Amino acid sequence: MNGNLQQFRYETAESLKIALFQISSNKIRSFLTALGVIIGIVSITMMGTAINGIDMGFEKSLSMIGYDVIYIQKSSWSTMGEWWRYRNRPDLKTEYAARINRIIADNPDTELLIAVPQMSTYQATASYKDRVLEQIFSLGTNHEYLKTASGDLASGRFFTPGESAGSEMVCVVGDDIASGLFPNENALGKSISLKNRKFRIVGVFKKQGKFLGLFSFDNQVIMPLGAFEKVYGRNMFVTIRVKIRDQARIAEAKEELLGLMRRIRRIAPGKEEDFSINEQKAFKSQLDPIKNGIAAAGIFITGMSLFVGAIGIMNITFVSVRERTREIGLRKALGAKRRTILLQFLIESVMICLLGGVVGLVTALSITFVIEKAIPDFPVQFSFTLVLASLGVSVLTGIISGLAPAVNASKLDPADSLRYE
Amino acid sequence: MEPVIIRMASLCRHYEMGEQIVKALDSIDMEFRRNDYAAIMGPSGSGKSTLMNIIGCLDTPTSGIYELNGINVAEMDDDELARVRNREIGFVFQTFNLLPRMNCLKNVELPLIYSGVPPEERKERAEQALLSVGLGDRILHKPAELSGGQIQRVAIARALVNRPSIILADEPTGNLDTATSHDIMDMFGKLSDLGNTIILITHEEDIARFTRRIIRLRDGRIESDEKQ
Repeated sequence: MNGNLQQFRYETAESLKIALFQISSNKIRSFLTALGVIIGIVSITMMGTAINGIDMGFEKSLSMIGYDVIYIQKSSWSTMGEWWRYRNRPDLKTEYAARINRIIADNPDTELLIAVPQMSTYQATASYKDRVLEQIFSLGTNHEYLKTASGDLASGRFFTPGESAGSEMVCVVGDDIASGLFPNENALGKSISLKNRKFRIVGVFKKQGKFLGLFSFDNQVIMPLGAFEKVYGRNMFVTIRVKIRDQARIAEAKEELLGLMRRIRRIAPGKEEDFSINEQKAFKSQLDPIKNGIAAAGIFITGMSLFVGAIGIMNITFVSVRERTREIGLRKALGAKRRTILLQFLIESVMICLLGGVVGLVTALSITFVIEKAIPDFPVQFSFTLVLASLGVSVLTGIISGLAPAVNASKLDPADSLRYE
Repeated sequence: MEPVIIRMASLCRHYEMGEQIVKALDSIDMEFRRNDYAAIMGPSGSGKSTLMNIIGCLDTPTSGIYELNGINVAEMDDDELARVRNREIGFVFQTFNLLPRMNCLKNVELPLIYSGVPPEERKERAEQALLSVGLGDRILHKPAELSGGQIQRVAIARALVNRPSIILADEPTGNLDTATSHDIMDMFGKLSDLGNTIILITHEEDIARFTRRIIRLRDGRIESDEKQ
């Protein structure tokens, strides 16, 4: 048994040498053969990288909304297209926040931490001297807003409880607004105009980036609720932001909040509620099918290119077997077993595929690198798993495409093969 | 008497060609003993290639017995046959069949790889074999850099390297000129004197005359079997 193993080792070493020799003495042919695999691996890794990148950007965006914050709103995020279902619902009131806070203060077992009111509009315009920024996101809230939101201040401070209660005309602005209105100066302490009302900037947020590439957190002006109402009126879009104790118990928290809101809204049991409780999961459940669809289509298309590559390798291995029929006959006459010949051709096709895979990976890596340098915001993520997976796929392609010709070669009759011209 | 190495009894090899059955070998009874030096002769179509394939374990008989060192080869599978070829038989071909891209040493090492000999021992034994055919100074040459006679001597070294029971040569001088042919036959003579068993197939009378036994085939049967 030991001797058998040793022999197998020598045969494998010999096959490796033959394969290397074959590849290096037929360089152009080997390259053209491997090209199919190279293209396949490049497209598969690029696809994987893109999907990974989408995933990462997505996770980043979701963490902006917060995993431990739920949102009471008039409409639901998970059926965003069907606005008509929510049109006739009564508007939410910012007072709900205070009522929720009172109720949870009396309940030691509550899953909820704090509720913060918010009014907002996407249609705001801010100006400073002759500079104007349109379509910014204006938001009125209270001094506890930051407990329910992501984002750190780059300079200054958030507005105080006193400013909040007194509806003072102060605001905290996002990075885009600070740099847009004050390209060369410090925004802190300056006064900007919102609908002809002056607001003093007390704080500037650090840059956060866009949510799913759609909505920018750097494009918002946050002010006390009372000040917001003075500028935009009372009939703006209301959201109650509720932070929960434990993001693992978000379902229980939602359940509790649902009961609370039904109480506040006085909805009879059995009647459908006229508000929605939203969380980041709604986005996930909406976007996951899209992401999976992209992944499935991508893998199918890239799989096709790899399949074409595999056929190329199968073809060339068949040619190689044909060309070397006499050699196969000779090796068999000298004592090569079936498995020896099988292994020889299998190793050859696997090696071509593996080389193609490595070249493909290097190419894909370079492309990723260039993209990262050129477009820093573009979400690309090259993972180690991806490297292993594509090398595995290369080897598998080699085995699959080399198997039929190799079995063919191993079954050749030695006497006939020796006479083959 | 030397012991029997090869025993054939009622050995037949039939080929089916459509409806027809071609009897390439028809009831052959024959023995080879150790240190035999025999030539198998016959016109083309007489069955000598088929016989050579069966003796060399490249083919198995349709019926009858073929024993090599007392073991019936007829019932062996492909891998067992490969093992027997590797250990018991040294082939020398008319067309030499060296691998052109490898040097002499690597060519001669080939049978040793398939019998699991470690690399250092392989090299040593291949060098010795090349030395014994007078090519000690051509070890690292490739076949293309050698003359026909030298190439055939490399092939003989390859046949010898695994110390087989028999050396089987199929028209070993068929591609060589007369002078070189005689050189090669002298070499076989020497190997025979050293105790090797040699069976060669030829259709040339003057080549056959170098041997000690001539077997003539006709239509798949033994026509004559004479010692000389």
